[in-house]
Amino acid sequence: MSYLAESPPDPTLAALHVFRENYGFVPGVFQAQGLLPRLIQAEASLADAILFHDAGLSRIEKESIALAEAAAQANPYCVALHHQTLLLLGVPKQRLATLVGVPESVTFSPTLDSCLVLAWASFACTLSTGLGTAPDFAHPPLPNRKQRGASEPGVYTSKFEEAEDSPVFAFFREQFGLMPNLFRAQASRPDVLEAQAKLISAVLLPGDVLTRLQKELLMLAVCGSDRNEYGVALWSELLRKAGITEEICDRIAGDHPKTELANHDKQLLDFGVKLAAHGASFCEEDIHRLREHSFTDHQILEAVATTALTKFLNTLQIRLRAEPDFEVRLVVWPSAENNANLLSEEPRLTQESAPVDADLEVVDAVRGGNVDAFEQLIERHSRRVYRTLVGILGDPEDARDAMQDTFLKAFQHLANFQGRSKFSTWLVSIATNTGLQRLRERRPLESLNEGPTDPEEGFRPRQVRAWTEDPEQLYSQTERRKLVESSVMKLPAKYRVAVVLRDLELLSTEEAAAALGLQIPTLKSHLLRGRLMLREALAPHFAKRTSEVSN
Amino acid sequence: MITCADFMAEIGNYLEGDAAAEVRLQLEQHLAHCATCQVVVDSSRKMIQIVTDSGSFDLPDPVLKPIANQIMSRIRKEQH
Repeated sequence: MSYLAESPPDPTLAALHVFRENYGFVPGVFQAQGLLPRLIQAEASLADAILFHDAGLSRIEKESIALAEAAAQANPYCVALHHQTLLLLGVPKQRLATLVGVPESVTFSPTLDSCLVLAWASFACTLSTGLGTAPDFAHPPLPNRKQRGASEPGVYTSKFEEAEDSPVFAFFREQFGLMPNLFRAQASRPDVLEAQAKLISAVLLPGDVLTRLQKELLMLAVCGSDRNEYGVALWSELLRKAGITEEICDRIAGDHPKTELANHDKQLLDFGVKLAAHGASFCEEDIHRLREHSFTDHQILEAVATTALTKFLNTLQIRLRAEPDFEVRLVVWPSAENNANLLSEEPRLTQESAPVDADLEVVDAVRGGNVDAFEQLIERHSRRVYRTLVGILGDPEDARDAMQDTFLKAFQHLANFQGRSKFSTWLVSIATNTGLQRLRERRPLESLNEGPTDPEEGFRPRQVRAWTEDPEQLYSQTERRKLVESSVMKLPAKYRVAVVLRDLELLSTEEAAAALGLQIPTLKSHLLRGRLMLREALAPHFAKRTSEVSN
Repeated sequence: MITCADFMAEIGNYLEGDAAAEVRLQLEQHLAHCATCQVVVDSSRKMIQIVTDSGSFDLPDPVLKPIANQIMSRIRKEQH
């Protein structure tokens, strides 16, 4: 029993086996998502990694934390499920009565594992509320809903600086342009990161039900209503790359009902925020309202899953307190009397509003089986790819080899290209990864990311003679090119690549930072240092002669 | 009044046109009086222009074409 159209999942779905093995049956909240089996699959992986896999905590400890959290959220479905599970695991009824009746009395050691269980509990509560799943078992009476979460933050302080780079980081770098601190903080549990990557891939990436843009805006609105500054900064940054202005992002995070969106899209944000923040009053009518605005049950299911994913990440952030990856902008949270109309036109959150990428047609042709069309993409982008690789590797021959690898990888992974960024940006980030991999093999100690360098620290301009009025006239094009190439090659790799991408490839700071997986301040400081070093190197060739100065 | 060291700390944003209006004003006041920082700003701008116009690391077609062919033949081989 749930709000959405009944469509039981294929009983042979591998994910169902995970639930059968650990619960003895498939709980209704997962059965209810048969419309989109990819969700069930990803949720099974996450449950397996967090709840069923014995890491720091026993299954009983984890189920107890989840039960107390479900009781604190007054969620009948999850209370019934965890209560029954604990009964079967032999926990005395009296202990269970305490967990349900006085959930705030439950204490647990603040570890990454317990934070993950709390995040899972928020996820499951949001799913069951949104789907209106009837409990699988009778449940004990619930206490009044307690305010939890934000009131007891930061129980776990992680040491992310020490986190080792693990292969799963590549997924997050590709999606976010850098490794967000929230995920970096979980580096000690690569299996859990892997499962979160799967969940994000299943919930957020497909664009065939809701558009990715709609889902990201929904996540931003839910982060805003949860006052999660970290999440607001992260999703705003992603949306900004998709062409949504800062003003719109701030407004959606701060007070989305006042954002002038198309009514259809506004209903979607209303739905998610109500589910996330006012679960107790959420009901079937909310589902009907979306249907009235011509949302399909598939789309509603995705909206519920997107909201649940956001609650999962928000709960983690409350506990882990990761440092924001991007500048936290001043957001006017709801209730502020701010009626200024910042928007001149009504944005529609469909993919049509994204700028058109001339390469998409060719990409589609290749995907459709026209392999030869790929040559056009090589022709259009090989110069850019080569320059990026020379910038990283500092060696023309190596760069040519790496260029082949880059295009080969791009071809092999073309199915993964979501059209989220421009094709050229995607390609440059593959080139960057390929180049970095080679660089590491050659010189294991060289890294592009050592945090911002302090530009004034130890860098004083030494060449302070004025340059001639028209320095380009002094040398032929070929001579200038040779001078520039040899000076650029002498820069350290991290400065060299910043200069190449910005001053030769003419990428924007944001594009270059995204392609390199660096934070914007880091990229800026590398660029500046590279430029200043280049200026020193080139000055003797372009400065006025002493005789000219004295004149 | 800001010092040359202060100026150098902000020169990145100044060159990029990213400095806040207030900071920009202070920087320009300093520039008006400091020949050394003027030289650094002027030569940095000229240098960036020279780099951008240099066409550095551009591969000529005769070099690119065989590489593109090699890539395509590796891709076609993979298809089979």
